[in-house]
Amino acid sequence: MTAPTANTPMVNLTIEGRQVSVPAGTSILEAAKTVGVLIPHYCYHPGLPVAGVCRMCLVDVEKAPKLAPACATSVAEGQVVNVHAEKAREARKGVLEMLLINHPLDCPICDQSGECELQDYTYQEGRADSRYREPKRFNPVEDFGGDVMYVPNRCILCTRCVRFMDDIAHDAVLNVSERGDRAYIGKFEGKDLTHPWAGNVVDLCPVGALLSKDFLNKARSWELDRTASVCNGCSQGCNMIVETRDNVVVRLRPRPNNQVNDFYLCDYGRLNYRWMNRGDRIEAPTVTSASGQRAADWDVALSSAAAALKGKRVFVLASPSLSNEALHFLSRIVKVAGGKGAFRMPTGPEAPLPGVEDLALRADRAANGRGAELMGFERTDQPLAGLSQGDAVIVVDHDLTPDDAASLSHASAVVLVSTFMPAALARADVMLPIANYVEEEGTFTNLRGHVQRFLQARAAPGMARPSWYVLADLCNALGDRQDAMTAAQAFAALAAAQPAFAGMSYDGLGLRGKTIAGATAGQASLEVAT
Amino acid sequence: MGFPFTPHPRETTVLSKHFGDAEARTLDGWKARGGYRALEQALGMDPLAIQAVVKDSGLRGRGGAGFPTGLKWSFMKLGDGKPHYLCCNADESEPGTFKDREIMRWTPHALIEGCAIAAHAIGAETAYIYIRGEFTEPLDVMERACEEARRAGVIGKNAMGSGKRVDVWVHKGAGAYICGEETALMNSLEGKRGNPRIKPPFPAAAGLFGMPTTINNVETLAAVPPILVNGGEWYKKMSRPDNPKSTGTKLWSVCGNVMRPGNYEVEMGFPFKEFLYDLCGGPPKGRKFKAVIPGGSSVPIITMEEADRALMDYEGMVAVGTMLGSAGCIVMDDAQSIPRQVARLARFYAHESCAQCTQCREGTAWTTKILERMVAGDGTAEDFDTLMSLAEDMTGKTICVLSDSCAAPVVSGLQKFRGEFEALITRRTVHTVPAIVA
Amino acid sequence: MSHGPSATGGSAISTAPNGHSSEPYVPVFTGETKARLDALLERYPTKMAALLPALWMVQEARGWVSPEAMAETGQVLGLTAAYVKGVVTFYTMYHQHPVGKHFVQVCTTTPCHVCGAEDVVKAFLKHTGCGELGVTSADGRYTVIEVECLGACGFATPVMVNSDFIESVTPEKVPELLKQYG
Repeated sequence: MTAPTANTPMVNLTIEGRQVSVPAGTSILEAAKTVGVLIPHYCYHPGLPVAGVCRMCLVDVEKAPKLAPACATSVAEGQVVNVHAEKAREARKGVLEMLLINHPLDCPICDQSGECELQDYTYQEGRADSRYREPKRFNPVEDFGGDVMYVPNRCILCTRCVRFMDDIAHDAVLNVSERGDRAYIGKFEGKDLTHPWAGNVVDLCPVGALLSKDFLNKARSWELDRTASVCNGCSQGCNMIVETRDNVVVRLRPRPNNQVNDFYLCDYGRLNYRWMNRGDRIEAPTVTSASGQRAADWDVALSSAAAALKGKRVFVLASPSLSNEALHFLSRIVKVAGGKGAFRMPTGPEAPLPGVEDLALRADRAANGRGAELMGFERTDQPLAGLSQGDAVIVVDHDLTPDDAASLSHASAVVLVSTFMPAALARADVMLPIANYVEEEGTFTNLRGHVQRFLQARAAPGMARPSWYVLADLCNALGDRQDAMTAAQAFAALAAAQPAFAGMSYDGLGLRGKTIAGATAGQASLEVAT
Repeated sequence: MGFPFTPHPRETTVLSKHFGDAEARTLDGWKARGGYRALEQALGMDPLAIQAVVKDSGLRGRGGAGFPTGLKWSFMKLGDGKPHYLCCNADESEPGTFKDREIMRWTPHALIEGCAIAAHAIGAETAYIYIRGEFTEPLDVMERACEEARRAGVIGKNAMGSGKRVDVWVHKGAGAYICGEETALMNSLEGKRGNPRIKPPFPAAAGLFGMPTTINNVETLAAVPPILVNGGEWYKKMSRPDNPKSTGTKLWSVCGNVMRPGNYEVEMGFPFKEFLYDLCGGPPKGRKFKAVIPGGSSVPIITMEEADRALMDYEGMVAVGTMLGSAGCIVMDDAQSIPRQVARLARFYAHESCAQCTQCREGTAWTTKILERMVAGDGTAEDFDTLMSLAEDMTGKTICVLSDSCAAPVVSGLQKFRGEFEALITRRTVHTVPAIVA
Repeated sequence: MSHGPSATGGSAISTAPNGHSSEPYVPVFTGETKARLDALLERYPTKMAALLPALWMVQEARGWVSPEAMAETGQVLGLTAAYVKGVVTFYTMYHQHPVGKHFVQVCTTTPCHVCGAEDVVKAFLKHTGCGELGVTSADGRYTVIEVECLGACGFATPVMVNSDFIESVTPEKVPELLKQYG
């Protein structure tokens, strides 16, 4: 189906008694979604070419001689679709029974349990028992390489994984091998699922046939708490869900957003979560005086920090993965005190997902380089260049090279606002513990200027506070009045002060984000040029 | 003729006239027998005029579906600027059917001529003849005939000096029944797994290589040259007076428990009883006919009572609850166990399922397992209901009709020969091992 | 291809050795074979369309389609090895393992079944010394398999030995027939 344009005529039909009006060429399945009717399906996925093979989405279309596969049937004017007609339900019941005849029914030891579409639809409309009395087919578990394990006995051959690798990843390492009921998902010996985006086949698999080796036997899906977030592994800003069990992040999964990442998350991003749970955190504010480093309460620590900074030129070394809000308050400090803000950008090889326009694991391996630049921070390999005697430095969640540490020795004061203690740091006059980004709310700006919210997925350790909250307090302690009791207030302060964000509101961003005005135009012309 | 036997006087030999005549295989021999006159004529005609003659003849597809050939050709949008393709379906693999094999073995030029005419009629410059890999001799004969025709300029970039390009290529299959399904054949020709495609789009809109394509059976295409030479009216006359919907002659492959198995060419509407007893010589000595599958294994089984009143055309077979299909007639005598044969058929379909649709992949295998268990003496009364319910799930719900084809003989077998299945169950052995309950 | 006691017999995932030898792989598509493939490519608008013919060339040259040959064929036609494997395993005529010098296929589908094809199979298993379907005889000369409908139902039972198509085989004719295939 080609994407509808403004000129595509609308088609009117009735689905489950509801009036539906959708662009011509829309499938019945997608049309039904628009009025809140979910037609059961397995092989269909909106991001993949239609296969029409599972036959689970059969629906009754009045006056049609046969049941229609809703995924592969386009809407027609005046159509009356009965999803729950007796014969459609019977047909789907038959499909469900057949999908289970060779299935090991091993839900108690299956990772997919609880988020398995085979379970869901069987509960919803399957048979209570099975009439199958013959021996079951058996095939051994296979390691597909990468993070993927294949359990063929649970496979329903929907071919979503094969189509993803063929049509989206453009790396056809999976196939359907053999035919009839001997068929299975196969690969070629020695050619593994090592594509940087291959892990998506695990999410695409509607059943427990493709599993993440990383997540294997880690948690039952119903024990997980799920939080909408944004990946900070690179500047793409893929939308994701952070899944925690007992305040521990155990899995990251993509959250669909067709403006940014479609349905996908790369392997680098999805496996980049262990640091979120790290135990060696700074948990309490400290103040260093002649008598040594002491824990302090927040008020004392903040006023000590302000005292250390007051009247000096301030250099800010800020992580490019800080939120827009935190960077904004830091930019205030730089502006008031004079000095400069800078960051070093970690990089790695770029890895595009060719089947989706403008989607890649980006070379810039931090979430908010664009935000930092918009806020006046300089991207440089020598972030402390120009630091002179008497200047003060604030290091905000930024790791330090030995050279950085050497430069810091010239500083008159060092304030560390961080989740962790940089190994190379010799001294800090004040240390202020902050939450990492999955422990707080905030926004990132991706490389195309798309501003997106992330929510709090776990509790911060000890006395750590959200970064923007701490930095707003520091502004206040320095006499620059900032109001940021909530993330929304912090964003409002940012939007009021930073021209790029003018007119945006925290609520207005929603969970899919908004693009900075003018930011995409440049990109569009760039795309045309290439 | 009832090849390999001498023709029966009641046969009407149009396509089979030269079966067994080795000289007819050569280009010169074919020309001497009137060959390529039709092509010469066709190349000078407007494609629409050719379509009109074929429409007028009433020729219907001989591969099984019986779709009117001229109408199918007319779906091709001429002059749309896209390359058009003709596919000749020579993947004859429907159990019981072996007529296309003889056409290709004995009259390869009849097929090439038919292909070239059809290609011109649908605006195609390329025709592919997809022959199943097991047909080593027909492949060889067709390859040689194509080469001969190409060398002589009968086909190629200036076919018969007409200035029109008609390439005809032979493409060898590699062992898959389902590639006889038209869209599976196209996938196979494109170098893919032979998976049937979802329709729409239909081949005339997006077929081979995504381009407008017409696909015709060997026998259909071989019938085109005589129709063009003799006119549609001539062909139309070969039919029952009361049924103008089935016209022309039809090759019937007859096999199984019959005295003279072979290929017979009769006019549409021929009485089936006379056909089986007179032309085919009746049952083997001392035996009686018991059942017939008249149109290839995918059509319902009929009893002899039904067969005796059947007329051999599309409508005549439907009237007795079966179909003409590919006219592959499998005859079974009273020594055969229907459950055993139905189980064997089911196994065939389970083996050949492409694995795409759930009902087919799982249903054909499950049906086979139940039937084989019943035949082994371990059936239960519930198996009847399960088989019928599976057959319902397997009918009309999948991309292609392979699973329907598996269900048809099961349902008709159970309905018409239920006693034989029941006998298996009443005699059944006692379970010594508890059944595995899913 | 399933030859087990049920239609679903046999494990789908093959763990059998593929007859790998330590010798380096010698490419199929060189010289004259490559020229034949190149000529063939002109018949089709896509390279992929030449996959089935190319695999036939491999089987002609090597007697079977080895994993290395799948990879090579893929490379020549711009396809991944996994894709080629998916295609190879779909079609029953490509051998995924080495077979005997003479590959015997006996049709046993319904029309032949009613004419006693099972006995023909038994005769072949006995006289070739294979004993079992799909097993190559100890002397490496024969492999016998059952095959689904060969499309010569009126000439029951048709048998293919290598590329020879033999009609109307009965159990009695088997020993004489095998003499031609030493």
